[in-house]
Amino acid sequence: MQIYNDYREHADFLTVYVREAHPTDEWQMKSNVKDDVCYAQPKNLAGRVTIANDFIRRFHYPVPFGIDDMSNAANDAYSAWPERLYVIDERGHIAYRGGMGPFNYNPKELRAWLAARYGEVKHEEKQNQAPAKS
Amino acid sequence: MKRFWKWTIGIAALLLLAAFTILSFMAGSPKDAYGMVRYALPHMHRGTLRVGDDAPDARLVALDGSSGFHIRERTAGRPLVLVFGSFT
Repeated sequence: MQIYNDYREHADFLTVYVREAHPTDEWQMKSNVKDDVCYAQPKNLAGRVTIANDFIRRFHYPVPFGIDDMSNAANDAYSAWPERLYVIDERGHIAYRGGMGPFNYNPKELRAWLAARYGEVKHEEKQNQAPAKS
Repeated sequence: MKRFWKWTIGIAALLLLAAFTILSFMAGSPKDAYGMVRYALPHMHRGTLRVGDDAPDARLVALDGSSGFHIRERTAGRPLVLVFGSFT
């Protein structure tokens, strides 16, 4: 989110919600219980929409947001699950492809890509921003 | 021949045990290793997209749950950073 604050004047951002990584009915982690992030894997789009909105409310998440539908088209196209970063350039080409999460999910690498293009930017951290819109 | 199969099965079992032990260490516990094999690995794909490829398009649903938009609608004029993830 800090990367968004720092580079939103240079690039557009879009968060894409994909199927849950650690739902209660699959591979739940202890940290999910500790953090009170306990959801079953949504069986329909309404379930995904509910969780996405919970996420945004809880973290006052300001980044524009879209939800992958139950066909998982975005996830499949970008091999995105469980988490992944990409940059699409102005001509519609992949300009940066991050590694597969969680082990190779590397926001620092994305920041370096943005810094190489736009220079180092570091704004003060913001709290409680306006929540995201689609 | 019977001895050959005994050794083959024994070595295969040992290799499986070693792999599961290493996975348990990486994942944090045997339960997590099982979770990784059962639920994570089938969904994790490196993918074939490369830098320079045309970015695929997909329709996303908006937070209101009814309207939607395409990823490529957001790519006019400036780079678009895509952040894929979920809550858990």
